[in-house]
Amino acid sequence: MVGALRVAIAEDSAILRDGLVQLLVDRGFAITGAVGDPSALRSSVALNPPDVAVIDIRMPPTFTDEGLRLALELRDRYEGLGILLFSQYVETRYAADLLANDAAGIGYLLKDRVADVSDFVEALERVAIGGTALDPEVVTQLLGATRRTGSLSVLTGREREVLSLMAEGRSNAAIANALVISEGAVEKHVANIFAKLDLPVSDKDHRRVLAVLRFLES
Amino acid sequence: MVEQAEDSGLRVRLGGREISLSEDHMTAAKALARRILREPFTKRPWAELAFYVLSGGLAAIGLGFVGFTMVAGVALAITFFGLGILALSIRSARGIGGWNRGLARAMLGEQVEDPEPFAGRHGFLGWLQSSLRDRVGWRAIGYLAIKVPWTVLGFYVAVSLWWDAVFCILRPLAGSNGGGPPIWGLVPNLFGGDTFVFDGQGFGHGLAVFLLGFVFLFAAPWVMRGFVNVDRLLIRGLLGPDPMAARVRTLEQARTQTVDASAATLRRIERDLHDGTQAQLVALAMRLGMAKEKLEDGDRVDLDRVRELIDEAHRGAKEAIAELRDIARGIHPPALDIGLEGALATLAARSAVPTELTVDLRTRPTPAIEAIAYFCVAELLANVAQHAQASRATVSCAQQGTWLRLVVRDDGRGGAQLSTVGSTSSGLAGLTDRVHAVDGRLNLVSPPGGPTVVTVDLPLTV
Repeated sequence: MVGALRVAIAEDSAILRDGLVQLLVDRGFAITGAVGDPSALRSSVALNPPDVAVIDIRMPPTFTDEGLRLALELRDRYEGLGILLFSQYVETRYAADLLANDAAGIGYLLKDRVADVSDFVEALERVAIGGTALDPEVVTQLLGATRRTGSLSVLTGREREVLSLMAEGRSNAAIANALVISEGAVEKHVANIFAKLDLPVSDKDHRRVLAVLRFLES
Repeated sequence: MVEQAEDSGLRVRLGGREISLSEDHMTAAKALARRILREPFTKRPWAELAFYVLSGGLAAIGLGFVGFTMVAGVALAITFFGLGILALSIRSARGIGGWNRGLARAMLGEQVEDPEPFAGRHGFLGWLQSSLRDRVGWRAIGYLAIKVPWTVLGFYVAVSLWWDAVFCILRPLAGSNGGGPPIWGLVPNLFGGDTFVFDGQGFGHGLAVFLLGFVFLFAAPWVMRGFVNVDRLLIRGLLGPDPMAARVRTLEQARTQTVDASAATLRRIERDLHDGTQAQLVALAMRLGMAKEKLEDGDRVDLDRVRELIDEAHRGAKEAIAELRDIARGIHPPALDIGLEGALATLAARSAVPTELTVDLRTRPTPAIEAIAYFCVAELLANVAQHAQASRATVSCAQQGTWLRLVVRDDGRGGAQLSTVGSTSSGLAGLTDRVHAVDGRLNLVSPPGGPTVVTVDLPLTV
């Protein structure tokens, strides 16, 4: 990576916004803008394009889904801009809207996750370079909502764990780290999962996320 | 042409077309004939006749009295005295209506509830005003005004039949020819009336009159019943409880329940915040305080202990955040911002029991209805997860005209009940309160062994 990753932040709570700035600067990120509403982020991104934008879902003026709409808009306008939606709660519907076309450069995390600093930073970096970061809660909901429970029952317990982590957008190395197993073992599990669920194999992490999500949604 | 058919019923050929009367038809016809022949000799028609005569007389006297006092009251209305008479008139109509209701209850077994009692305000002026505005009194006057002409018509059409039946049957038996009391009424007139009965001669004519008497006798109970039934409707509609007052009572109850429920909700939220989140934050601050003191210990810093304390504080903070989110969701589900469908999708996805959701909404309900629908589904799915021992559940949300119908079904063990312990009890009874508050309906079908189906109907707008 050349130079520090550049991050723009749109978050209406000043306390959280300042905290985020402090944390990211501390971790060596460059902040291109830290604003409190959608239009301010729009101009900030136009003026000084970041690698990734961290966007709160609820922002002024109506405090409903401004952030989500802004995210979809920015995605259309700036190719390669990573978007990390940052929310007090997760809703299956938001995830579905966000991931409608592509999972590349998309993140959807609970605000709580910032408490685990390394995990959060790792997710942000992943999104910035075109990866995916889905909150475990989102994955749990997608697994809960799927009609494919029959197909999923062929997986072993460990394979389900790997599937969940994969759906979160983690790389094999990260999965190996999280489950305290070797990367080779993860690769074997992944291959088994793709074979059992009859999914198209892909080397790119965000593509395989999409494959898994499509499978769960169908 | 009549012949015995194979199925032991009758087959009748009419103009080339064959009509078969099965055994069922025959039995039914026999039963009907028996019923008609017996009816005049049972208790009921006589009770109805007696009621009709008595209550008709009462109503006529009542209407006369009320009419007279009203006219007098209106004529004198320019003086204070006239208003008093008018008030008395309305109050007495209430009383007469009460007597009529009592008669119907005693003689017909008509179960009409008493209307709400008269509530006069303080002082003569208050009494006067309440009396003049007494809806029960005015409705009773309406009853009398319809009842009296109806009674007159009933006498002409129905009561007359009884009298004529007796007269026609007895007259040939007495061997009388000419003279005697006249027959009257609508039906006898159709048969030629007095002319037919009095002008004929000979045995054949006597027999005809005699048989005609029986026609009257067997017809009388049914014609009478028609008139009495209309009277029953009038009594139910005009002498029973005022539907408007009943509506006000229902609304008052619903309001009380809503107020109680929101007070209970606030109490619960306060408790959750106080016992849960606040306690968490206190513990968190305490641990951080201890860690800070340990760091100030100078050269003998117990780093392991500090790390442990911060670790616990960190974990506690994350738990507090999650708890707070659940509390906030219980106050207003954020998913409702994007509409009921999305919110229900999240609920179904989060449910512990695999849940299938179908939504068919063309119009968006008002926010209050969406919230009630959401909490209903949330509560019902929680019940399914906790009690039903179900392996699957389905939620459907469909629009039917101006109503929203929610159906939550599970394949569990059934036997669920609408417990009503306490006025603001949780669970299904609490849901019922919420649903009633907006004039909705909640229906539970849960036979032992399942399946359990809960249907909630809500108006789209309040």
